[in-house]
Amino acid sequence: MIEFKNVTKRYAKNQALDDLNLTIPTGDFFVLVGPSGSGKTTTLKMLNRLIEPTGGDIYFNDKRIIDYDIKQLRQQMGYVLQNIALFPNLNIQENIAIQAESLGWPRKERIERARALLKQVDLDPDKYATRMPSELSGGEQQRVGIIRALAIKPKVVLMDEPFSALDPISRKQLQDLVLQLHQELNMTFVFVTHDMHEALRLGQHIAVMRLGHIQQIGTGEAIMQHPANDFVRGFFENEHTPRPATIQDLVIKGYGQTTTAPATLKSTATVSELAAALQTAATVVVATDQGARQLTTADVIDYLATKEAD
Amino acid sequence: MAQIMHILQTQGGDILHAIGQHIGLSLISLLIAALIAIPLAIVLMHHERWAKVMLQITSVLQTIPSLALLGILIPIVGIGTVPSIIALVIYAVMPIFQNTYSGLTTIDPNLEEAATAFGLSRRMKLFRIELPLALPMIISGIRIATVMIIGTATLAALIGAGGLGTYILLGIETNNNALLIIGAVLSAALALIFGAGIDWLGKLSFKKAGIVLLTLVVLIGGFAGYRKLANPQTQITIAGKMGSEPEILINMYKDLIEHDHPNMQVATKANFGGTSFLFKALKSGSIDIYPEFTGTVLESLIKGDKLASHNPAKTYQVAKNGLKSQYQMAYLKPMSYQNGYDLAVTKQFAKKYNLKTVSDLVAVEGKIHAGFDPDFYQLKDGYPGLRKAYGLNFASAKTMEPSIRYKAIANGKVNLVDGYTTDPEIREYHLVVLKDNKHFFPPYQGAPLMTEKLLTAHPELRTTLNKLAGKVSTTDMQQMNYKVTVKHEKAATVARDYLRSHGLLD
Repeated sequence: MIEFKNVTKRYAKNQALDDLNLTIPTGDFFVLVGPSGSGKTTTLKMLNRLIEPTGGDIYFNDKRIIDYDIKQLRQQMGYVLQNIALFPNLNIQENIAIQAESLGWPRKERIERARALLKQVDLDPDKYATRMPSELSGGEQQRVGIIRALAIKPKVVLMDEPFSALDPISRKQLQDLVLQLHQELNMTFVFVTHDMHEALRLGQHIAVMRLGHIQQIGTGEAIMQHPANDFVRGFFENEHTPRPATIQDLVIKGYGQTTTAPATLKSTATVSELAAALQTAATVVVATDQGARQLTTADVIDYLATKEAD
Repeated sequence: MAQIMHILQTQGGDILHAIGQHIGLSLISLLIAALIAIPLAIVLMHHERWAKVMLQITSVLQTIPSLALLGILIPIVGIGTVPSIIALVIYAVMPIFQNTYSGLTTIDPNLEEAATAFGLSRRMKLFRIELPLALPMIISGIRIATVMIIGTATLAALIGAGGLGTYILLGIETNNNALLIIGAVLSAALALIFGAGIDWLGKLSFKKAGIVLLTLVVLIGGFAGYRKLANPQTQITIAGKMGSEPEILINMYKDLIEHDHPNMQVATKANFGGTSFLFKALKSGSIDIYPEFTGTVLESLIKGDKLASHNPAKTYQVAKNGLKSQYQMAYLKPMSYQNGYDLAVTKQFAKKYNLKTVSDLVAVEGKIHAGFDPDFYQLKDGYPGLRKAYGLNFASAKTMEPSIRYKAIANGKVNLVDGYTTDPEIREYHLVVLKDNKHFFPPYQGAPLMTEKLLTAHPELRTTLNKLAGKVSTTDMQQMNYKVTVKHEKAATVARDYLRSHGLLD
């Protein structure tokens, strides 16, 4: 169990955290969510003491974390960074096993563990184990980033906006992956995101933060149904009513054929307007920044189908 | 080109030896610099202020001209290899330190954060993450340092540490472009080869690069140790100035001493440096004997009122007494030849106007177009004095570089030049030296110079070296210089042949 008791963090000019109280049950998937400057990352990094509080205490299994040997504390916590940060000079299995290496595991065991973890996230060990990080795609790299945090079977895994730099498809796959790993591994996951959608999808408990204060803690359902204040309500409404998709969004994704025919619609028109136009004609020509494009019904259906996957 | 090939053929062994010295000097300096700079950068990587101070200091050291640095070091650590290595290390520390420091401090902060968050020890973080990531920068620092060291190491020849600089200096001194090119091209080639080798090293993994470096260290160390054991300490060191003539003389000294005293071992250091440098080396005990000219002693070594005498015997006496009273040095008897200024014309020109002495020039002064060394043109002992003494008034007199004036007379651009009496060019270009019938030029006679201390400890040296007193005529010397400089024979061989043919050696 992790407890924050009256934790504050004051920098020279501003107050990053103000009297924070928080309990994370063992084995929970706990998500800290909020806009930038809310103090969510500060809260996370206090757990492995990358940032030290200026007031209050943090307890890990009923012992203050400052009373742990810092190295031992960190070796009980896996850490996944936003920008992945695989060591470019080490190959994939060396990256995965770096914490195991610092704990003095024998080489053979380290390699076995790395290979088993690669298999667990559907990366073929024979293919990936000895590659260098630069040879992997962003999604593959963050898979490795996640299993690197799991290598020494830590009690807690800290994840700092791990998917914010990924494309929507990889993001969804990796969200599924961490959910699955959490179920299998019986570890406490603490996850930071600014994306309410992601928080709702992953978190057993969610803490909504703003300007160094916790606005509300609870299950996703409870927060949705009974938002504690206007800020929380507003944060959710933004999630519910996204900006309507425009034709430009389609074109950017690469739909449509270049044409010289005269345009009948502007690219700022919504996808719904395009659908309406397609009810009366097989193709519609749209004027875009990239020149005129000819779009079909199939394009719209394709676009909507992949958009749902986001 | 043919000349270069000839030198390479006849002096190949010596050149290889110089390359070896050059590489040894450079690598040892590089190694010491790296051993200082890299750990220092590691220690200071988390102390930005001190690192900045250190960068300032190393940059300032870098701006000291290398010659000045060598000059500063000589009184402290003497001459030879040690001050050269110190100077080279001082230059090489800055690029290595700077690159290592910026390599270590510009690592992506996210990677640093990851390593910290994983609870890696400081040691593991350094060796597993930080140093490997900084390695390309460190290697490029070492590369810069290497190229710089190999270039600067040519100056080591100035203070008797040998290396390829010997050939460059010798080439400048004797105006032998072939030697100059050999020295310069070889040191440039070395810089290129080592630069490429270091690049190759940079492409290896951290571990492999370490193994290669370690092997290199062991090899150099072993080689140096072996050399130390194989060459027991010599008792007497004889050095000579730049050029063929001193080299011939010191080889004569060596042969005579070793022949007479089998228990003595003589080391020769040819092309050791200029007058003041050799004199300092003698005073400090770095060398034991070197041949010096009587005229030079008066002109630049002893202080006080010097009677400008044109009598060789008197000049020698003044020089000898001055050296004894002012520096406690012993100056043995001079050889016969004089290496003073002279005036020379071509054989045809001499024949046409029946020129034998300088006085004969007066009759044809309207036809004389002279080419003079700039020093000769200005010195009181040179052209201005000569003009007055003989009442000469030439049609024209130009100054030109020493070597160019010989070419100018050979090409007919001028018809009178100054020179030194033993210059091999006199023979090479078939010139005739005009007799200084009024004894205007001060006498320059060569004689062995040593400390009185040495002579007291080994009085037998006097008898041995005095065997050369009054020997070696100007023509002999000219001929020997010609053999060494133009024909590229070895100075040691030329010296021994002379001693044998004159019954001084069996």
